[in-house]
Amino acid sequence: MRNVYVLSADTTKYGKSPLSARELALQASKKAILDAEISPADIQASFIANAFSLAEKQGHLGPIIMSGLGIPDVPASTIESACASGASAIREAWINIGAGIYDCMLVVGVEKVSQLDTITATTYFSFGSDFVFEGACGASFPGLYGAIARSHITKYGTTEEQLASVAVKNHANAMSNPNAHFHKRISIEDVMKSPVIASPLKLYDACPFSDGAAAAILCSEDFLKKTGRKSSEKVLIRGSGRAGGTGALFQREDLTTLNAAVMAGREAFKMAGLSQKDIDFAEVHDCFTVAELVAEEDLGFARRGQAAKLTQEGYTKIGGELPVNPSGGLKAKGHPVGATGVGQVVEVFEQLHGKAGERQVEDARIALTHNVGATGGSCGVHIFELT
Amino acid sequence: MTELTQDASELTIKEFQEGIHEGKIEGYRCTNCGHQQIDIMEFCPVCHSAKLEKVEFSHFGSVVTYTIQLVAPEQFMNEVPYAWAIIQLDDGPKITGWIPFISRPEDLPIGQRVVFKKSYLPGIVFEKGKTGD
Repeated sequence: MRNVYVLSADTTKYGKSPLSARELALQASKKAILDAEISPADIQASFIANAFSLAEKQGHLGPIIMSGLGIPDVPASTIESACASGASAIREAWINIGAGIYDCMLVVGVEKVSQLDTITATTYFSFGSDFVFEGACGASFPGLYGAIARSHITKYGTTEEQLASVAVKNHANAMSNPNAHFHKRISIEDVMKSPVIASPLKLYDACPFSDGAAAAILCSEDFLKKTGRKSSEKVLIRGSGRAGGTGALFQREDLTTLNAAVMAGREAFKMAGLSQKDIDFAEVHDCFTVAELVAEEDLGFARRGQAAKLTQEGYTKIGGELPVNPSGGLKAKGHPVGATGVGQVVEVFEQLHGKAGERQVEDARIALTHNVGATGGSCGVHIFELT
Repeated sequence: MTELTQDASELTIKEFQEGIHEGKIEGYRCTNCGHQQIDIMEFCPVCHSAKLEKVEFSHFGSVVTYTIQLVAPEQFMNEVPYAWAIIQLDDGPKITGWIPFISRPEDLPIGQRVVFKKSYLPGIVFEKGKTGD
């Protein structure tokens, strides 16, 4: 495999947007192309990460987005792995460039769901589960994570206040992220008093339905040279891991871990030749507060059952030993499904270049992203290094 | 070429759902290794044998984990609050189901005995078992 670099990564603001997926994707793509100081004509192929474009009565996003970028002849396909669509698209682009098929690719993740009412949106999200046996049997998407949270509480004694501490931290981090969905500081009490949606999870344990897009230009070393750039000060994809798990949560042995995340994490660390202590910060898939704790345990940053305590003690805040979700995470930066995994790369790119403002992680050089589809049917983990 | 025909040993989604409304819980057992699973499947995930047989499972089980749904998918909007649970059946695999009228965690301890109930309500309905179930 050849080395693959992130040449640029940029995003729209996350939140409620009047724009369509197509327009959001074009905005993010334009920013990434201009940041990279390339021409759209340099893009040889593209992957679009998206889950719910049919809710806007539009499939086949690829050609529409390429046409809007003035390159209708460029092949572009949608990659759908529910909420892990972004990491899956990054992974596929990494494979294509690494294998020498292409030298320059655009990965753009996008979602537009704010036109749906809450019940419809909740139903759409439950389509990411094994719908026949879970969604159609009464489980909402928060309900599936509620069941995971109940298992974590039962097995490890995790408390609802500890879950709330994840939300409090991530809301605090998002305060200085101009592109975040929420700019609202919250307290443990605010979380505890918010309405229960799927016990033990409350409204403030959950990420929002967000609109938004994020885009990245990935390229080979040859392409970097062609553009007259040195490979120094560039972001290298040092490790990539991708694994699957049963689409159905109920079939699993242990409901306090996502095996796909364990496997994808191991693959990425092995490829990178690095261990957990080498990671300066991580952007993980905190679709619900409990998911951040499970992620830290699955990736080996915390021993089983210990992540809640570490969060409470400040280990994962900005300035702590391992800052987790300095962007605000899905919880507060927002979760435009298809865009989320690409948006994690945007945060990594900004942080590694020292451009994250008040939420800057000091001396960040190596970062990890962890992006999960539904309840762990898909997971992608990437490790990035500023070379 | 392998011919694909549906035989008596195969379970369709429609048959599974009709079975539930008729009071049957159906799924698969691998005739090679004995693994049991409620699913729509062609190969065993443990030994990868294609020799699966359709079997009927017990109606009794215990709650492994659950959530109480206060915001629910469309089909269940009028049923809130209820518990959606993962249930370990006594003679085999895990299954999902929902238990009506559960509104507080105190009402459903982990390990609670439950029994499958034939019903025309959507999904797979369970109710709390009596002592001795």
